[in-house]
Amino acid sequence: MIRPSSLFATVLILLLVALFFCGRHAGLRAEEERAIRPVLDALVLRLGLTDLCLATEARYTRHPALSDELAPFMDYPAALEYFPSGLFWAPQ
Amino acid sequence: MKKYFEKQRNLLDYALASLWRRKGKNISVFLVFSLVIFLLASFLFLSRSLQVAAQTTLRQTPEITVQRMVAGRQESMPLTYAERIRGIFGVRRVSPRVWGYHYNEVTGANITVMALAGDPELGREPLAEGAFWQQGEQGRAVIGQGVVKDLDLGGRRTFSFFRDDLTLKSFAVAGIFAPETNILTYDLVLLDIADGRDLFGLADDLATDLLVEVVNPLEIATVARKISERLPDTRVVTRPQIQGTYQAVFSWRSGVAAICLLSALSAFIILAWDKASGMSPEERREISILKILGWQTPDVLQVRFWEGFALSLLAFAAGAILAYVHVGYFQAALFRPVMMGWSVLRPGFDLVPIVQGGDLLLIFCLSVLPYLAATVVPAWRCAAVATDAAMGG
Repeated sequence: MIRPSSLFATVLILLLVALFFCGRHAGLRAEEERAIRPVLDALVLRLGLTDLCLATEARYTRHPALSDELAPFMDYPAALEYFPSGLFWAPQ
Repeated sequence: MKKYFEKQRNLLDYALASLWRRKGKNISVFLVFSLVIFLLASFLFLSRSLQVAAQTTLRQTPEITVQRMVAGRQESMPLTYAERIRGIFGVRRVSPRVWGYHYNEVTGANITVMALAGDPELGREPLAEGAFWQQGEQGRAVIGQGVVKDLDLGGRRTFSFFRDDLTLKSFAVAGIFAPETNILTYDLVLLDIADGRDLFGLADDLATDLLVEVVNPLEIATVARKISERLPDTRVVTRPQIQGTYQAVFSWRSGVAAICLLSALSAFIILAWDKASGMSPEERREISILKILGWQTPDVLQVRFWEGFALSLLAFAAGAILAYVHVGYFQAALFRPVMMGWSVLRPGFDLVPIVQGGDLLLIFCLSVLPYLAATVVPAWRCAAVATDAAMGG
């Protein structure tokens, strides 16, 4: 009968191999992404873009690089930040 | 040495058999632990993907962006500011830009409208169809994929936006950005600067901000300082600052989401500590029998260590793999609603998952090590009890 430690080692090796393939897959995806990079570089350079289009709900999450730190609290004096994506984004 | 490894293997066998004897409890611990690690690892992988996306995509951002601030808010700036910046030694070019947001009241979407002076000097590579306008052409727009959907253009190639005075400004679609550029252009409407001024009701001698190119990139900070000194009512944002902002915004320590996940992990570790310190009479009896059979306290501790190590290592590997699948294949579907919030325009960008050894080590240190500490330390206290007392209980 197979020893429990051998079974454990087999399962662990399988999981680590799967983890390795995750890393390999990530590398391949990065290679694919490299093909479009010159186009994105040209867009950023010629249009003067400063931000990624990720969350479009508030100007300070659409353009965090060009919004100042007070932008989330500017609605009225002592305003609180209330957009859900603020949970995810740290202040600058 | 061989004897030592054989002993450890025997202890591991015993620990695994012991885990299997209480499989109901241990499988539930494994599932919860894997879930906690999955959430934490997903968050870390997503943060890293976004950090790398920002780093690689925004390499060519404007060297210096100058905004005018009035009462703590950004205001339009006079073009005379551009003349004053041109006088600074080391400045190659100053380009005025008009940009802002158009709120589509029908769909509730915020559209970014950007207007540039002159021809964008780009080929057709970034476009799925059409072309950029030529110098002097007006009333033509290049729009992102999200704008096409939001305006429900279908086969139409004209659209209108309301000006502030509720009159309509019409545009012909000159081109549509390719889906591969969604991470930059999904909500973008690109116009000539005259059209932008017309749409936003901005005077001809005003711009939203100024883009400054410097001759020597090593002098960005020096030129930025000179601009700040010459124009004290401006906010000067440099390329390194933009990149620094994104690295900070997407740091794994960022946001309330990270706090929630670390809190969940802490709660799990506290629970593990609580369970381990309150051993059942059955477990105490097992330890006592082992000690009567000649086991020493370190042997008992080593069994407890192997139990915790096996369980947490499997949970770590399973959680990390699931997290990769979540981010790499399902585009972090669980976190996207939080990340996008109430955004109406939701870019369908493809995240490139990034797995770094440092991140895996961080997850390991945040999950496996505290779990081991939380289970082995209380076990040491139980293993040190008098054998006859435990047998009596």
